[in-house]
Amino acid sequence: MSAQRSAQDQDPVATLAEGLSIWVGKLSDLVKKVVDTGPIRNVINWARMYSLWPVNITTACCSAEFGAASGARHDLERFGVLPIGSLRQSDLIVIEGTITKKMAKRLRMIYDQMALPRYVIAMGDCAMSGGLFHDSYSIVNGAHEFVPVDVYVPGCPPRPEALEQAIIMLQEKIRRSKVYEQG
Amino acid sequence: MSAPPKPVPLTTVESTETSESGAQTLTLSVGPQHSGSGHMRLIVEVDGDIIVNVAPDPGYVHRGIEKIIELRNIIKSIPVIERPSIIDASNLNHAWVRSIEEIQGVEVPRRGQYLRTLLNEMNRIMSHLYWLSIYGVFLGHTTMFMWPLGDRELFIDLAEKLTGARITYSYLVPGGVRRDLPPGFAEEAVKRTEYFEKRLKEYDRIFFNNPLFTSRAKGIGVLPKQKAIELGCTGPTLRGSGVDADLRKDEPYAAYPELDFEVSTRPDGDSFSRAMVHMDEMRESCKIIRQIVKKIPSGPIRRKAPIVLPRGVAYGRVESARGECSFYLIGEGGDKPYRARYITGSYRNMAAIPAVLLGNRLADMPTAWWSIDYWPVEADR
Amino acid sequence: MSLSHEREDALVQKLKDNFPADIKETNIIRRARLEVTVAPEKIKDVAVFLRDKLGFDHPNGVSAVDYNRESRFEVVYHISSISIKEMRDLVLDLKESVPRNAPRVGSLVSVWSGVENYERESFEMFGIIFEGHPRLEKLFLTDNWDGPPPLRKDIRFPTD
Repeated sequence: MSAQRSAQDQDPVATLAEGLSIWVGKLSDLVKKVVDTGPIRNVINWARMYSLWPVNITTACCSAEFGAASGARHDLERFGVLPIGSLRQSDLIVIEGTITKKMAKRLRMIYDQMALPRYVIAMGDCAMSGGLFHDSYSIVNGAHEFVPVDVYVPGCPPRPEALEQAIIMLQEKIRRSKVYEQG
Repeated sequence: MSAPPKPVPLTTVESTETSESGAQTLTLSVGPQHSGSGHMRLIVEVDGDIIVNVAPDPGYVHRGIEKIIELRNIIKSIPVIERPSIIDASNLNHAWVRSIEEIQGVEVPRRGQYLRTLLNEMNRIMSHLYWLSIYGVFLGHTTMFMWPLGDRELFIDLAEKLTGARITYSYLVPGGVRRDLPPGFAEEAVKRTEYFEKRLKEYDRIFFNNPLFTSRAKGIGVLPKQKAIELGCTGPTLRGSGVDADLRKDEPYAAYPELDFEVSTRPDGDSFSRAMVHMDEMRESCKIIRQIVKKIPSGPIRRKAPIVLPRGVAYGRVESARGECSFYLIGEGGDKPYRARYITGSYRNMAAIPAVLLGNRLADMPTAWWSIDYWPVEADR
Repeated sequence: MSLSHEREDALVQKLKDNFPADIKETNIIRRARLEVTVAPEKIKDVAVFLRDKLGFDHPNGVSAVDYNRESRFEVVYHISSISIKEMRDLVLDLKESVPRNAPRVGSLVSVWSGVENYERESFEMFGIIFEGHPRLEKLFLTDNWDGPPPLRKDIRFPTD
C-alpha cells in the first residue's frame, strides 16, 4: 500500500525531471549550434590553437629534438607550446619515438586522462610505423595502434623545424574544426 | 636492509608494512610519466618524508637492440647502436667499431683517429649540456633549461658541418670515418670553444655559486667510494666519489695518448660533486677540441675494411659521456655477429640509484637522481 | 705501451696455483684481455679469491651467450680492478658453462653487489636461473610477457 503511494508520489517529480532534461538537452544542442557558427567559433579555436600545452613526456630518442625545439634557438613557446606538469591541463600529447608494449598501456592511460579537446602528434618514424626498430619483439609499430593521431612527423629524428611545421599544421587543423568535434 | 618493495600495480598509492618507527610506510610509484628525463619508474617506499626503500623499474624503452643486432649486418647495425643515447651517439658508435676492428685486425689511420676523437669530444659536451638543461627542469630553474640548450646548438652546428647530421651521425665505420674536415672548420671550432668557455664561467656564477643550488645539492645523494666501485659505477658518477678512473687515461684509445688533458674528480660523492665533475669535463673537452684541430696529421681517413666479422672475441670499450660503454662481441664469420652484448654507462649506474636515494627526503629525489645522469633510454637499450 | 703478456701470464699462474683442479681453461685473447673458464660449482670460490687476493673489485657486466649447437649457455662475468691503478685496463672474463636444458647456477651477488641487474637480465632474456639472487624477476620486458626468453638463438619473432 505504502509502496504504491510512494510510487504515485514519485511519478510527477520523475516526469518533471525527465521533461526538464529533454528541454535542457534541446537547449544545449541549440547552444552548440550557435557556438559552432561564425565569430564565437573563431574565438574559441583561436584560443585553443595558440595555447597548446603538451604533456611532459619524453618517450625515446626523439625527445632530444623535442628538447632542442623547446630550447633557446627554436623556442616552441612562441607558438604557445609550453610543457606543463598536470595531465588534466594538457591538450596535446607528442608521442616522441619508439613505443614499447610496456609503455603503450601507460600512454593510453595518459591519453584517457587528458581533458577534451585533446590532440596527438606522432613524432618520428618509430611513432609512425615502428621505424628503425620495426622488427623488435617489444615494440608497437606505430602510435595509431592505440590512439587516434592528428599529425605525423617523419624523420629519424625530425629536425626541430619539422616539429614546428607540425605544430603549425595542427593549428590549421584546429582553426578549421568545429568546437564540439570531440564531444 | 629489508627486501625491496613489491612492485605496485598501476594505481599510484598503496600503504604497506610498518616501519621501525612504528608508523606505516607508503609505497609510491614515481613515473613513468614525469617531467624531465625519459621513461623510468621508481617504486619508492617512504616513511613520512624519508625514503627507506627504492626499486627501479626500467624497461619502458626496451627495444631489444641486442636481438636486432644479430639480425643485421655490422654496418646496418650502426644507426641502431647509436640510438640508445642519441645525444652521445658518436661514443656508442666508437665502442661498436672498436670491437669490430679488434676482431678484424684493421688499423685506423692517424687522421681518422683524430677525427673520431673530435666528434667524441663534441658529443661529450653536447650530452653534458643536455644533462644540465634537464637538471634545470628537475629543479624548476627555467634559465638552467634554456641556456645550455642554446649553447648546445653551437656544437650541433659544428657537427652538422662535419658530418651532415644534427645528432645521429653514423660517422664512424670500421676502418675510419666517413667524411673529412670541411674547409674553415678549424677556425670555427676555436671560435666556438672559446666563446663557450666564457659561457661556462657565467654558468658557474649564476647556477652553481648560488645558495639555492648548493643548499639543494650539497650533502644530498652521497655515494661512498667503496660502494661506487663495488656496484660497478662508471663515468662522472664514479669520479664524483673520488675515484680517478677514466678510460681515456687508463686504457688510451684513438688520439687520446697524444692529447693533453686532465681527469677531474671530487672527493665528496654528493650531487654537487657530480655536477662539478660534469662542468670540469666540458672545460677539458673544449681544450681537447682545440688541440685536435691544431695537431691533426694529414693522410687518409679510412682504411677499407670488409663487411665481414671473422671468428673471434673482443671486449671493446670507450669512455662515453655517462661512463664506460662496452661491447662483448663474438664473431663467427659472415657479416652478422653471433652475440653482441651491449652494456652502457647508464645501465651500469642503475645499480647506484638505490644507494644514492636512500635516507634522503622525497623532495630531494630529483636532485639526487639526476646527478648520476641516468638516461633511461640508454639503460634499457 | 708494451704488448707482452707477462702480467696476464702471472695472473693465470696464480689462479692455477690456488685452484689446480678447477680452472678448466684459460685464454689470453690479447694484452689486457683474459678469459678463465671455471666449473660452476667452484666459481664463487674463484670469484672471492679474485676479489680479495688479486684486487678485482669492479664488475663491468655479465653476459650470457647461447651456444645452442653445443647445447649450453655460457655466463661470462667481466671484472676489473679499480683500486690497483696499473691493472685498470685489464678485463678478466670469468666464464662458466651451463647445460641448456637445465640452466641453474649460483649467483655472485654476494661477491660483487653490482652484478645483480645483469644476472636478472640474463634470467629474463635466456631463462638462466641464478640461485641465491635476491630478486629474480623481469627487469626490462613487459610485465605481462608470456613468450619465450627472447635472446635464445632458436627464438625468432615474426616481422610485420
